[in-house]
Amino acid sequence: MRRIVRIVSWLYALAVYGFIFLPVVVLVLFSLQSTSFPIPPFTGPSLRWYDVVLSDTRLTSALVNSLLVASISSLAAVTLGFLSAWGFARFVLPGSGLLRGLITLPLTVSYLIIGMGLLVLFNWAGVPKSLLAAGIGHVVINLPLCFAIIYSQMGDHQINIERAARDLGAPEWKVLLLITVPVMAPAIFAGFFLSMTFSWDEFVISFLLTRFDTTLPVEIWNLLRSGLNPKTNAVGSLVFAVSIVLVVLFELTLLRRRKA
Amino acid sequence: MSASSASRNPLSTLRSHLHAACAATALLLDAGSFAQAADLNALIWCDHSDPALLQPFEEANNVKVNVKEFEGTGAGLAIVEQSQPGDWDVMVIDSIDVPRGVEKGLFEPLPDDKLPLADMFPQVKMEGSTVVGGKRYGITEKFGYNTIGYNKTKVDPADMQSMAALTGDKYKGKVAIYDYYLPVIGMAALAIGKKTADLTEADLPALKDELLKMKANAKLVGEVTASQTALATGEVDILVGGGEWVTAGLAKENPALDFSIPKEGAVLWSQSLAMFKDSKNKDMALKFIQYIMSPEGQARLATSSCYWGMPANTKAALTDDQKKILRFDEQPGFLARAQAYPAPNADLDKKMQDMWTEMLQAK
Amino acid sequence: MTAANNGRALPRAGRALPWALVTPALGWTLLFFVLPFIAMGLSSLTAHEGSGFTVSNYSQFFTNPSYWQAMVNSLEVTAIVTVVSVLLAYPFAWILAEQVPERWQRLALMLAVLPFWTSYVVRSYSWLLVLAQNGVINRALTGIGVVAEPLQLANTRFATVTGFVHFFVMLLTLTIFANLKQLSPSYRKAAADLGAGPVRTFLHVILPLTLPGIMVGAFLTFVLCIGDYITPQILGGNNELLMPQLVMMQIGRRGDFPLASALSIILMAVVTIAYLACARWLKIERA
Repeated sequence: MRRIVRIVSWLYALAVYGFIFLPVVVLVLFSLQSTSFPIPPFTGPSLRWYDVVLSDTRLTSALVNSLLVASISSLAAVTLGFLSAWGFARFVLPGSGLLRGLITLPLTVSYLIIGMGLLVLFNWAGVPKSLLAAGIGHVVINLPLCFAIIYSQMGDHQINIERAARDLGAPEWKVLLLITVPVMAPAIFAGFFLSMTFSWDEFVISFLLTRFDTTLPVEIWNLLRSGLNPKTNAVGSLVFAVSIVLVVLFELTLLRRRKA
Repeated sequence: MSASSASRNPLSTLRSHLHAACAATALLLDAGSFAQAADLNALIWCDHSDPALLQPFEEANNVKVNVKEFEGTGAGLAIVEQSQPGDWDVMVIDSIDVPRGVEKGLFEPLPDDKLPLADMFPQVKMEGSTVVGGKRYGITEKFGYNTIGYNKTKVDPADMQSMAALTGDKYKGKVAIYDYYLPVIGMAALAIGKKTADLTEADLPALKDELLKMKANAKLVGEVTASQTALATGEVDILVGGGEWVTAGLAKENPALDFSIPKEGAVLWSQSLAMFKDSKNKDMALKFIQYIMSPEGQARLATSSCYWGMPANTKAALTDDQKKILRFDEQPGFLARAQAYPAPNADLDKKMQDMWTEMLQAK
Repeated sequence: MTAANNGRALPRAGRALPWALVTPALGWTLLFFVLPFIAMGLSSLTAHEGSGFTVSNYSQFFTNPSYWQAMVNSLEVTAIVTVVSVLLAYPFAWILAEQVPERWQRLALMLAVLPFWTSYVVRSYSWLLVLAQNGVINRALTGIGVVAEPLQLANTRFATVTGFVHFFVMLLTLTIFANLKQLSPSYRKAAADLGAGPVRTFLHVILPLTLPGIMVGAFLTFVLCIGDYITPQILGGNNELLMPQLVMMQIGRRGDFPLASALSIILMAVVTIAYLACARWLKIERA
């Protein structure tokens, strides 16, 4: 019985891994295609399409834009999220439950609707489309996430350390910077990292709110619509590679923190 | 937003409040886009985003061309409405829709004497719409046909001489429809013997029947890439609404792709360039239009990576091979049998789009 | 509750500090989430061409069958995706949590969510390549003679669902795995001591205890899936329209923001109903 469960488990897990990796393998394989169609038969390997991608200034500048928008909006989201989480966890505020609900409300709304709302609002108010407008949208989607993560990790254990610091006469800002932030660092880091991920990969808000300077997912969408070729595979594989490097770095820093 | 349009709108009060509320943000955002004031900002279709087309112009004039892609005049005009005056310098627009932009007071007249009008195919100048009130507001840069694209090794080319093949049983499940309502509705009109220019609301039921028959035969309804992909990879053998814009660019990879102008005729698509009245960079905008209309610009535009198409300028510097793929020499005959896009008013346009939605939803 | 709060209240902090901490986040949410939503609501009550308030955008949705068909399609696809993803992900997460040796678990989980990091637009596109007429799957199937003719896989609802399920299996594996790991082994032991077999232990102990995690994941799946434009647009072949496609069509083809706003609000209303249905599992509480 145990052995059967084990064998079935392994087969099932292998099948799911296969399902999960199938599109990635196809993507990367046909990015090495030497002819113009990313479908079988495989004609590579060739780095031709990587060459094309790296010399395409629209794609490379979109990549820089994406990194900028992701890091700045995540920084804003995590800062706002942290401050509010601290405020709600440490102080008694009237209507606290309702206000926390308000902050986390965007989590339950589709990105499309958030983007549409901002588009209509900015349109009325005469705010032009720009990367900054998209960044504002990204803070809207990531702030509740950062808040929820950090708030859920603020336990009584940290309160006690903070109280000890206060009892020793530390002013509030010192408690915040020297005690709370370091103690909460894993949660803050996790919030920042998740925000980066979501912003980096977000399409519809950027699509609706930017003009010609846009983010990488939108530029990839444009690329996709402008014709079928392995260039899309190449840029997709590159993005994948960059993301993997970031994930590994994240894992390593997290592991080191844990050991420390 | 102009004051007059605001006063007509019941939401104007709210808007002015919002304006105040967002003023700080607006300032901030304006600062973000300020740096681009010296560039040339172009609202374009995907064929103009090819670096091979833009880079020579950028290098020769030491200017950066910022492009924003859109599809469909409605969407393009919506983008302009959401922008500030002066945000855009030039725009690509369906030739038949030039008057819509003129009506809204968006465009600047173009100087006839500085453009190669004498070298253009006479039928595609479309002066009925590119010239309004005696002034030229648009110049046709590229054209082609929405007709039947097909794989000649998979279908009988003789069948492709009639639109009946699109709704018959023979090629059931082997058909894709190009996902843009105007040309395909135009083709449906030709199939039922109507002129695209004369369509009225009374024709909609018959058009819908024809569209639903096409849909019943179709495997997919796809945008530019999806339909190209489907035809090129053998997913389908026939593309309704296809033409040189699909087959020519893929000719090198898949020489079996071809298009026909069936006996009912075909729909002529024609795209124009227009300059914005509020452009802050009119000299450069004109230079850009002149570049696109020059023999070199025309050749690069005609063979752009997004889609190929016939250059409007007969002197376009195309190679013999490229001309053969585009069937350059057969153009006079094709043009004689082609009709322009339908040009519905706003009300009929909405009804046509709803009809299109219904067609997409049909099983 | 009161005792804990007493402990938290700080005698030295004035009223200003706590508000200074929470106001930026609240202000941001009000200005860029609530206000846009109000603007969208008002916009949905105007006409694209013409002036005055009207409910015509809403009545269009309810009277035009091809419009509400989009909502029906969206709900069907979302329901299928949610159920299939949970059914696929639960056993997978269980295997990772129970069958894989402890020290390999982190690596196994990392591997399971690695394709998460491919760009989202590209992921759908890759599925198109996999499922195409001449794609990898059809080549393989016809190659080994399972089917004579290539199957129609791309440009169908099946393709849309596959693209979605791929993404949500990864997401749900993460949430369910975390949930399973939180279960104390003593529960299982206790159940066994009381004479319950593995099946009964699972049904009566493990499943109920992991249900909240499943619900959170399922709700996330629902929200993300029903609002997604890219996956159906790339994989569905426009053989049917889902709500987000209908919304984007109003913007992309006609610049009709009022109608797009109305459709978005209808979509939002449906998500709210789903939220209320799962609300009891979705509370965010401090550890």
